[in-house]
Amino acid sequence: MDSITTAASVVAAGLAVGLGAIGPGIGQGTAAGGAVEGIARQPEAEGKIRGTLLLSFAFMESLTIYGLVVALVLLFANPFAG
Amino acid sequence: MPLLASPQLQPEIDPPKGGAGGLETAAEVRQNTENSMDPESSAEVSPVSDDEYAQLQRRLILATLAVSAFAVAITALVFDFHIASSLLVGAICGVLYLRLLARSVGKLGKGSKSVSKIQLLVPVLLVLVVSRLPQLELLPALLGFMLYKPAMILQVLFDS
Repeated sequence: MDSITTAASVVAAGLAVGLGAIGPGIGQGTAAGGAVEGIARQPEAEGKIRGTLLLSFAFMESLTIYGLVVALVLLFANPFAG
Repeated sequence: MPLLASPQLQPEIDPPKGGAGGLETAAEVRQNTENSMDPESSAEVSPVSDDEYAQLQRRLILATLAVSAFAVAITALVFDFHIASSLLVGAICGVLYLRLLARSVGKLGKGSKSVSKIQLLVPVLLVLVVSRLPQLELLPALLGFMLYKPAMILQVLFDS
């Protein structure tokens, strides 16, 4: 692989993971805080709150996984490698 | 004068909210919140809630398995066994990821203050294994891993 391609791939992998984790990280923190507060206020609805939190986390974390997969593909299965 | 005598401008007879009554209410609210944060009092309602959450987990995993089985069967019919096996490996990793995520969400607020990120190791290991093994394809494995999302969307649609 060309050295410029290697360097660009490594930089792009870092950016993909780093930038892709910012939004879901903020969202997950907000959602988890709200869920814990809701469980403390209304313990009888714990099951529903946890279920909704699980679904929200799964959808939010998929954004992180997209960035992670792009980074791993660039590092280990790079399509631009000659 | 007639304006001041109108019933809209009469002073309120009820005690103000910031008075002693308001303080008592705030103390009661605080007491109730502390009672609800108490593990002994929350244990009275937690079995039903835990059961509901466990049922949701079970339904989600069963829905993911059903969607995965359907997708693998269609892929094996339309494409070949090679791609179907990659899809199957990805789907198994998706179920594992969902199980780990559900476990970490279940621990939130009970044992841990934050959601653990151990489930993110599953796609990492999947990509590493698929890129090392020549029998497996990367794209079908990733699509198989993402099969838990249509299962979740179906679950939400059925619930609503």
